[in-house]
Amino acid sequence: MPRIGVFVCWCGLNIAGTVDVERVAEAARAIPGVVHAETYKYFCSEPGQNLIKQAIQEKRLSGVVVAACSPSMHESTFREAARMAGLNPYLVQIANIREQCSWVHTDREEATVKASAIVAAMVAKVRRDEPLEPLKFPVHRKALVIGGGIAGMQAATDIAEAGCPVILVEQGPNLGGRMAQLSETFPTLDCASCILTPRTAEVARHPLIEVLAYSEVREVTGYVGDFTVKIARKPAYVDWDKCIGCMLCQEKCPRKIPSDFERGLGSRKAIGVNFPQAVPNRPVIDREHCTYFEKGKCGVCAKICPVGAVDFEQTETVREEKVGAIVVATGFDVLPREAFGEYGYGKYPDVIDSLAFERLNSSSGPTDGVIRRPSDGKIPREVVFIQCVGSRDPDKGKPYCSKICCMYTAKHAMLYRHKVPDGQAYIFYMDVRAGGKGYEEFVQRAVEADGALYLRGRVARVYPEDGRLLVKGVDTLSGQAVEIAADLVVLATAAVPREEARGLAQILKVGTDEHGFFSEAHPKLRPVETMTRGIFLAGSVQAPRDISESVAQASGAAAKVLALFSRDELAADPLVAAVDESRCSGCLACQPICPYHAIEPKALKDRQVASVNAGLCQGCGACAAACRSGAMKLKGFTDEQILAEVGTLCL
Amino acid sequence: MAYRYFPGCTLHEQARNFDVTARESARRLGLELAELDTWQCCGAVFPLATDAIINLVSPYRALAAADGAGADLVTLCSGCLNVLRRTNRLVATNREIQEKLKSFVEADYSGGRQVHHLLEILKRDVTFEGLAAKVSKGLAGLRVAPYYGCLLLRPPEDMCFDDPEAPTILEDFLRALGAEPVDFALKTECCGAYLALRDGGRSAAAAVVRSAAAGGADLVVTSCPSCSYNLEQAGTALPVVYFTQLLALALGLDGAFGGHAVDPRPVLRKKSLLPEVN
Amino acid sequence: MSLTWEPRIVGFACRWCTYAGADLAGTSRLEYPAAIRLIRVPCSGRVNPSFVLRAFQRGADGVLVAGCHPGDCHYTSGNLFTRRRYSLVKRFLEYLGMEPERFRVEWISAAEGHRFAQVVREMTADLRRLGPNRKMREET
Repeated sequence: MPRIGVFVCWCGLNIAGTVDVERVAEAARAIPGVVHAETYKYFCSEPGQNLIKQAIQEKRLSGVVVAACSPSMHESTFREAARMAGLNPYLVQIANIREQCSWVHTDREEATVKASAIVAAMVAKVRRDEPLEPLKFPVHRKALVIGGGIAGMQAATDIAEAGCPVILVEQGPNLGGRMAQLSETFPTLDCASCILTPRTAEVARHPLIEVLAYSEVREVTGYVGDFTVKIARKPAYVDWDKCIGCMLCQEKCPRKIPSDFERGLGSRKAIGVNFPQAVPNRPVIDREHCTYFEKGKCGVCAKICPVGAVDFEQTETVREEKVGAIVVATGFDVLPREAFGEYGYGKYPDVIDSLAFERLNSSSGPTDGVIRRPSDGKIPREVVFIQCVGSRDPDKGKPYCSKICCMYTAKHAMLYRHKVPDGQAYIFYMDVRAGGKGYEEFVQRAVEADGALYLRGRVARVYPEDGRLLVKGVDTLSGQAVEIAADLVVLATAAVPREEARGLAQILKVGTDEHGFFSEAHPKLRPVETMTRGIFLAGSVQAPRDISESVAQASGAAAKVLALFSRDELAADPLVAAVDESRCSGCLACQPICPYHAIEPKALKDRQVASVNAGLCQGCGACAAACRSGAMKLKGFTDEQILAEVGTLCL
Repeated sequence: MAYRYFPGCTLHEQARNFDVTARESARRLGLELAELDTWQCCGAVFPLATDAIINLVSPYRALAAADGAGADLVTLCSGCLNVLRRTNRLVATNREIQEKLKSFVEADYSGGRQVHHLLEILKRDVTFEGLAAKVSKGLAGLRVAPYYGCLLLRPPEDMCFDDPEAPTILEDFLRALGAEPVDFALKTECCGAYLALRDGGRSAAAAVVRSAAAGGADLVVTSCPSCSYNLEQAGTALPVVYFTQLLALALGLDGAFGGHAVDPRPVLRKKSLLPEVN
Repeated sequence: MSLTWEPRIVGFACRWCTYAGADLAGTSRLEYPAAIRLIRVPCSGRVNPSFVLRAFQRGADGVLVAGCHPGDCHYTSGNLFTRRRYSLVKRFLEYLGMEPERFRVEWISAAEGHRFAQVVREMTADLRRLGPNRKMREET
């Protein structure tokens, strides 16, 4: 026979002013199984809690119902009190007779009857409660960071600096990400490589960071604290351990191909590195463009290599790692050039995107930092910048604001003016969004000091005429159609998630928004976490971000990882689903309904049943509602408990 | 598939060469283009006012008549296509307008038919490979600027004709005839339409022809009598013809090249596509 | 049955949105009829249709299933299952002859205390008009 204790709180007059608490206690005493009921002014107070503890011990209570405020207020208080008195904390239930009774009803009789009913329902529930222990998981104090751009490197450094080892996986051949392509950065105009290179070197030589470049995450299983990750190293056709980074191969390679890193403005060799300061400083053969792979002849690189590192037979290798947490920092891409035919992007060589303009500006870029237009190498006297190409365009592009374009376009106009003092920059914009420390001042400087001409309106068409590009647009502030003959047109194309990100989201089982950006657990309160515990976000993988925001978010993600790693074991709420295997028919109707992919089939001797991975389960109970045979049980909210509550409330 | 042909008013008047060459070519290609029994002007402009139901009555009648004959509509003129196709879509998607038109016209048509452009039928039914095989007199050496204008392509969600920024159907058609399509920047730009009738309003058309000439075109093809008129009046020496005239020529038929403001025959003769006159 | 019959509503409230919304109605001291008694569930997707049927069998005059707005589910997709599941259950109940007003599915967020109170007021008024549930009540 259960021995339930009921404690009806007055909450001063908050409850007692409307509800006859003594009558509620009296009614509770009449419920079979209730061996103790009392009232007190404030059960949440120290003496109030002591009364509960005392009753638990003296009356050997097997369950406790506290009729008081909402469980969101003091459920944990009373559970802790029970635990101290030797009662399993999950045998405590709260009857919410304040927020959902005394505060919303005025009729004393009605409120008292309702309060008694709520108490009776919770008694019925607690009778069917079983003692539960928090789930405990071991923590592997090692982190995986996916993406070697500025965000990934920041997260990796922060975690490693705290003493935890990090595996940093980068799909490209070198660290640095998008930032490595940039010339100068806003709002300070300091050079991107000057701040990036030291950080890259620091990451590369950190004893606790292992950089796996030219690698991809292929499979992730397990759960927070205990992920198993399969990482594939793509074949570079060069043995990086043997290679000494002399780059003779790059020098002698006869095959020149357009460089993606230079946005097609410059060329690279079929073997080599993206840029001279690349870390790791190890070459990769571009198999698609290598003469040896195309024709089976050439092999100049293999012949010239002083250490015999070139290996045309190299294959992909896969390694397995155990990590406790994952930071995703895969960054962004820009809209492909096919998207905007009216601007002639991809058709006219002097229509380029902003990343290409960064390369034109970069002192290590294809023009050594001299701004020359791609078609004939002339220095452009008039440059038109078009903002919001694909951003804020629900019809043809993306409905969102890409956030970084207003700032970098202002930067481009300034850099251009600094290099071409008699040049004129025109900027077509929709709005200038310069929220951020020093940002608005920066844009004003572009206008006032560097003479950038801002035109509020869209461009309808760009086409070549007499060796220049005719830009037809509208200035909506004056209401005039505008035609500008420009030498160079720069498009601020929308930032979009990287193409590979979609596959990665599936591997990680992390949600994405409609555009493919990874979803945070809560837009305000949990911005660096995902819905999957132990997986965190940093930088533009979540939404377009500038460098300072990416770094801040990366440090935030690192702090979350370190908080996880500060414990030996992770405790989780035991209110999760479990399968009664004797009743399970193995239909697995529960599997697709689970948002956490926590349900897997399990083979018994003669049949299969469902099984729940308690580490992944978040306790929503969707599976329990979907189960046809009643085998799926959500602890703390079992069918029996809820039906008992229903039965009691209908009396 | 049987079609009912909607010529539109201009094709029976100013643009008779458009009509004649289309009919003759279709016959040669085995396409059945029976003219709709009764039709009147499509209205020329698709009304943008949401309550301008009366302007939809005429295109609705044409659609209902084709439906009554158990056939889809086919047309040549970009303007007619634009009005008919957009009306058809509106009828199919807007219940209120559909009901009003039904009761006004006393017809029971709910938007189940389609409106085709002859180019689309050539592409889909004949295929450009099939067309190339039937060409008896390839237009080799003829550099043609394919001018789309706006009505064929826009609004793209209604017209679904081709990529509104980078269309290719005219180019593919011209290649099937053996001609060489010339890419030019303003091929999808508006010709100025009715604004051209205002004083000095021909700058838009002039820019189009200039752009085509800069691309090295021998002549321009269009699918629209209004475009054709504006481009011809733009004051350059570049001939403008209908795409069906080149089709007829390539099929060994009479291209009806007489009567143009800028005579295309000299350039066609120069390319040995028309016999020399003595 | 006493002369002053008052309806009884059993409400299933998801703990993240509707239960918190009901708490907000309390902290905002919004008065509403005492007919409603809430059962706290982790997610509206936890609510098995058998719970609803049991409530009607045991004499509830109305049943409310309420959770987060679609797209706002704490568990990403639970309320989408609720929406689909209960559009069927609702039709089933109507097929059995239940008045449609007796069963409602509502999206009430943690910020919508007013909405919670309003739904309870509406349901109570509807049920007072309809009278007791005799259709499914098991005679005891």
